[in-house]
Amino acid sequence: MSGARNAGPLELAEFPVRELRFGGTLQYAGGALEVAEAELVELASRDPRILEVGLDIVRPGERVRVTGIRDVVEPRVKVGGHAQVFPGITSPVVPVGRGRTHRLSGMTLIATAAYEGTIRTGTTAQRSAILDMWGPGADLSGFSRVPGLVLNLRLPPDLIEAEAHQVIQAAEYRVAQRLAETTAVAEPAAVETFGAAPGNGNLPRAVVIVGCITESEHLPSGLGYYGLPVRESLATVVHPNELMDGAVTGNTLKTIAYYPTTWDWQNQPLAMRLAREHGRRVDFAGVILQRIRFEAFREKEVAAHNASQVARALGADAALITWLGSGNAFLEVMLTVRACEEKGVRTVLVTYEYGGQEGTDSPLLFYDTHADAVVSTGSRDRILELPPADRVAGAYQELQVLNYPGAPVVSALDTLTLDATDAIIGGTDLWGGRDWTCRAH
Amino acid sequence: RIVKGVKIPVELRKSIVETALKALEEEVDESTVF
Repeated sequence: MSGARNAGPLELAEFPVRELRFGGTLQYAGGALEVAEAELVELASRDPRILEVGLDIVRPGERVRVTGIRDVVEPRVKVGGHAQVFPGITSPVVPVGRGRTHRLSGMTLIATAAYEGTIRTGTTAQRSAILDMWGPGADLSGFSRVPGLVLNLRLPPDLIEAEAHQVIQAAEYRVAQRLAETTAVAEPAAVETFGAAPGNGNLPRAVVIVGCITESEHLPSGLGYYGLPVRESLATVVHPNELMDGAVTGNTLKTIAYYPTTWDWQNQPLAMRLAREHGRRVDFAGVILQRIRFEAFREKEVAAHNASQVARALGADAALITWLGSGNAFLEVMLTVRACEEKGVRTVLVTYEYGGQEGTDSPLLFYDTHADAVVSTGSRDRILELPPADRVAGAYQELQVLNYPGAPVVSALDTLTLDATDAIIGGTDLWGGRDWTCRAH
Repeated sequence: RIVKGVKIPVELRKSIVETALKALEEEVDESTVF
């Protein structure tokens, strides 16, 4: 890869978890991960701002509803060398994306926390998510298909948003890394190497552009780069291997489905696929992170121009353009399609749809004639009725399905009716990681 | 739902990422001037 250069390839060693259980010793053996509850509780409790820690295990098919979800992480650890996963957050700012990283696949760490925040309405108000491990809610989310270790954190009620985010993120990343450390002497089931193939000038040179909503005046901003909150920024180039090592992270206080989890960034499907096809079908030049949701149309045009200029500077012939978030930030995304096409960079837009409950409303907020290749990842607008659960894991025994102060409270065990997939973690396929299709109608 | 002028390229299921990659290859091919 000759665009976003890295000093060396990354070996990603996979250790599948076929059984997840509590036990006396924290260990990984024969595909079974045994979790020593006391050790992980002690590790997470080292931050004095965490008042209490609880652990639970949820399994596919179990009639359990996880509530108050703040993030989902795939346990990973770097072995050898000075760098470590999640640089700038739980490890020093040392470049990542090379060397060797171990990953525990086939399971997730689900961080939950009850937190109401100091900001109660608007775009910066906290919103947590739920996950059903069975039934129609489970069908929407890939996170329901693997067992999850639920890490529930009790925080002081008076923490400001920036501090609550910092506390949750540091605790979940420490626990995730500790889980992955159990693989230190185990034999991986597979090792995949990224970034070793030389570039090939005869292939289309491609980039992935990810439009990212960020908050310019509040923390958490919604996007972290080596732990640095990205607020108002011009486009930034990252190597796809850096994503795999946790150099880019999200917002633990905004886990509705159109915001990515840490797991999503670690496994960004478009970047992963182009990295695998580098030197075979494409000459992959890197990932461009583009800040979106500027407030004036002229500013949106500048952001689009800037991202397209960076793509051209990387020598791109083509770009997969996608985004995270909702609302008017989509204008920058579509304007970036136009700006790229006008500079000779051919584009394919990968986005979710709205479409309304019947699928007949406008699927997108904004159009441009240059967007002549669009791949839909599915609709957010689906009424869902979730059946009653046998038990609840996570932070809340009662839920406000509608998110405003004073909204009705219902038991988390009860039947829930949702007016969109937003409340389910992973309920919107942001970047095309799933496999599904639709009938023409 | 299906916009004029916009081309949008019981287990029909296909990888969305593969769909996007194929569309990208088609886009580049279309721009090739022989």
